[in-house]
Amino acid sequence: MSISEGSTRESQETGRDLAGFFEHRFGATPEVLESVMNLASGSHVDFADLYFEHTVSETMSLEEGIVKKAGSHVSQGAGARIISGEKTGFALTEEIDPKMLRLTMATAREIALHGGDSPARTQVGKMAHSHSLYPVTEEGLVLATDVRRELLSEADRAARAYDHRVKQVMVSLATEVKTVLTVREDGQLSTDLRPLYRFNITVIAQNGTNRQTGSYGFGGRVPFSSIPDIERIRSGAREAARQAVVNLDARDCPSGTMAVVLGPGWPGILLHEAVGHGLEGDFNRKGTSAFSGRIGEKVASSLCTVIDDGTIPGRRGSLNVDDEGTPTSRTVLIEKGILRGYLQDRHNAHLMGMKVTGNGRRESYAHAPMPRMTNTSMLGGDSDPKEILESLDRGIYAVNFGGGQVDITSGKFVFSTSEAYYVEKGRILYPVRGATLIGSGPEVLTKVSMVGSDMALDSGVGTCGKDGQSVPVGVGLPTIMVEELTVGGTA
Amino acid sequence: MSDDAVEKIAQGEDLLSFVLSESKRLGATDADAIYVTSDDYSISVRKGDVEKVNRSLSRGMGIRVFRGESQAIVSTSDLNRNALSELVREAVRLAGETAPDPYAGLPDPADLELHRPLPDLLLEDDSPEPSSRLRLEIALSCEKAALSYDSRIASSEGAEFQSSRVTRQMGNTRGFLGGTRRTNYALSVTSIAKEGDSMERDYWYDQRPFFRDLDSPEAIGTESSRRAIRRLHPKRPPTGNARILFDPENARSLIGHFLSAISGHSLYRDATYLKGREGTSVASGILTITEDPFLPGGFGSRPFDGEGVRVTRKEILSGGVLNGFLFDTYSARKTGHKTTGNAVRSLGDSPSVGTSNILVTPGSSDRAALLKQMGDGILVTELIGFGVNTVTGDYSRGAFGYDVRGGEIMGPLSEFTIAGTLDSLFLGIIGVGSDLSRRSSIICPSILVEGLRVSGI
Repeated sequence: MSISEGSTRESQETGRDLAGFFEHRFGATPEVLESVMNLASGSHVDFADLYFEHTVSETMSLEEGIVKKAGSHVSQGAGARIISGEKTGFALTEEIDPKMLRLTMATAREIALHGGDSPARTQVGKMAHSHSLYPVTEEGLVLATDVRRELLSEADRAARAYDHRVKQVMVSLATEVKTVLTVREDGQLSTDLRPLYRFNITVIAQNGTNRQTGSYGFGGRVPFSSIPDIERIRSGAREAARQAVVNLDARDCPSGTMAVVLGPGWPGILLHEAVGHGLEGDFNRKGTSAFSGRIGEKVASSLCTVIDDGTIPGRRGSLNVDDEGTPTSRTVLIEKGILRGYLQDRHNAHLMGMKVTGNGRRESYAHAPMPRMTNTSMLGGDSDPKEILESLDRGIYAVNFGGGQVDITSGKFVFSTSEAYYVEKGRILYPVRGATLIGSGPEVLTKVSMVGSDMALDSGVGTCGKDGQSVPVGVGLPTIMVEELTVGGTA
Repeated sequence: MSDDAVEKIAQGEDLLSFVLSESKRLGATDADAIYVTSDDYSISVRKGDVEKVNRSLSRGMGIRVFRGESQAIVSTSDLNRNALSELVREAVRLAGETAPDPYAGLPDPADLELHRPLPDLLLEDDSPEPSSRLRLEIALSCEKAALSYDSRIASSEGAEFQSSRVTRQMGNTRGFLGGTRRTNYALSVTSIAKEGDSMERDYWYDQRPFFRDLDSPEAIGTESSRRAIRRLHPKRPPTGNARILFDPENARSLIGHFLSAISGHSLYRDATYLKGREGTSVASGILTITEDPFLPGGFGSRPFDGEGVRVTRKEILSGGVLNGFLFDTYSARKTGHKTTGNAVRSLGDSPSVGTSNILVTPGSSDRAALLKQMGDGILVTELIGFGVNTVTGDYSRGAFGYDVRGGEIMGPLSEFTIAGTLDSLFLGIIGVGSDLSRRSSIICPSILVEGLRVSGI
């Protein structure tokens, strides 16, 4: 980062300084921005934006007890977008100078407007409202290489000390500082300085030829100075080792449709796949989602209230402003079982006559924004988590998952267990091998019969993929009982 | 080659030489670097009008430096020479912070592909680019064919025509410098079929290195809608063991899982269910898999690997017997093997293991004959989810497909999983089709498997 040394200002207050960062670095002066945005104006332009991004990421990884790799990666560029009606023109440049910026916007204009319409004047300068969910000082963004190295080694030692059957430990730490500037067609400027880190531990435990894996990760948008929390790192490493060792005793998972109890936290991936994607504005505008046109209808049991909240401080899925300059918000998707809202970016909200929700996100300057989730979770209920498990007559208790996927049109979704147990008469009998669970998005939440009081957000590891774009997200869930879900086991 | 291409290649070689000499100057004992530029153009249409047009010229440089046995990797999209020097300096500093690893390093000079000129693998279409108007017409006629196929086609998620021209160049401090240019033209469409309460989506596509080889827009649009309509009103299959026929698009994913299980990196980490199984039967005797880096016009064709190492055509699996694992320089040294020319390199990471073109030797049965051989079972036409673990070999994925009775395709099936282990899956292959799909670097026919578990009602 090239912010001047000794600075201790918070990101919200440095909005103009961040704009200055791009001015200093790329010559993006207010005059230049106006001359570019003039090309993005005209009576046929509904929306337009110019998005600058500068990202520095630092990675380090350990395996076989030694830090084998370290890296530093710089990504910078500008994306120009013009929307007219349902048409979008998009172009990008990685050479950021006034001439290339104008050429890039002119390309987007040519695409969207076919040379029609005449440019007008745009006044650039009004700053967007923005949250301050991850204030950082300049010192807070520094984490010395030797400290990183020591943290990786600490995790390695803790995982190996957990059990003699731990054979392989792979640890990685990635930090990223993304600085963005968005200029809109109405001249509004927004800036954001987004720290993000992720610490990950993967363990292979072996007993004879039986090899099993376990993994645990955590992270978020917080000052990197808070990463060296030795106790958290040790417990994360032990957690990864514990999962791998538990799985050494795993037996074949049963197959068929049965009751499933999901544990708190990361199993919230259920919500992400079953309802979250299907409630994104673009699919619903086009009528291609299984949830299209169903606002006001009952799509879940009355125990279920599902929200998407981009405003939770420090979370991986949180943003001060989205990638179109709209402050993020808390959106109620399902309220006591009734479908209430969709997730919107500016374009889809406009075309559907709905309000923007601050969910316009993009992977980078090389991609155009679309409606995406932030942190998606279910509010906690009244049930004691212990009683939920005890009321499971025969089925699966799943506490950890790998990835998931959904077909938004048919609503069919899957997510795959990485730690799950077979349960009879409320008693955990044995761990089961990894299995995929499959269900129908519009139906699965109608089968939720108990919701626990132990709502938890995940530890900060989610990455969501859509249309070739990856963005960091969060999920959350209390312990819940789903009366019927199809379990893809082998027994 | 066009003047523009010659100039581009010279520019890339200049940049590579610059970062390699900077690496040496700033204290690296060795270095390699990769430079990738890409010219992408996509146009998508929906409901008969343009929806989105995307033009991008992008580039990136990835540099790996060694200080003795320690390494670091840096990458950037900023090609300013001062910025590149600064980044190399940072790489050299970082390499001083990682642990010495006696197996790390550039390939042995004897393994490098230094023969010039490199063979022309017919990867780049040199004919004039299709005009913007033609691109639009292609996308529009594809969507039109999809929408007009049947009244139950309610809408489309749009048709998209994409093209890319990618130049990849790499060099190292042991005298390797080389590159490839490739073009790709792709046309795809997604159809939404609706009838009563049932709404289903399916898609079809084609992609080719040469524009003139692309399937007609009408054929792609029609196939997409045919696929979507036949999925309407699916049922759920009963839970139990069943024969599964994977169509070529999905059989390809099985081959992909197998290839990742025989990566040298998985081997040295003890992270594969196939460890210690070289020279033994790991699949049915009717399965033979060959790698051919030199296939003309192949999506995976390449005259050298991701480390500049010589590549060869080889049989990976012969009649079910595993001939060996696949190695880059690092995993080969770690495990006492020689590199097999299977390094792949991305901008931001050190090499890992991957493959060029993979050919599954076809059998003599066409689709109808395979269905007949299967008798009763499920034809799988789509798999979703990530339930594959090549360490344990556990396999469990969500699926869509068709109920097959007595060799005849009955109705569509949905909301079920298929599960087993990769080991039992590959050993349980009882049929390999003649219907090769060539739309990917893995060229594969339909594969018929018995003994998998279906989970449904």
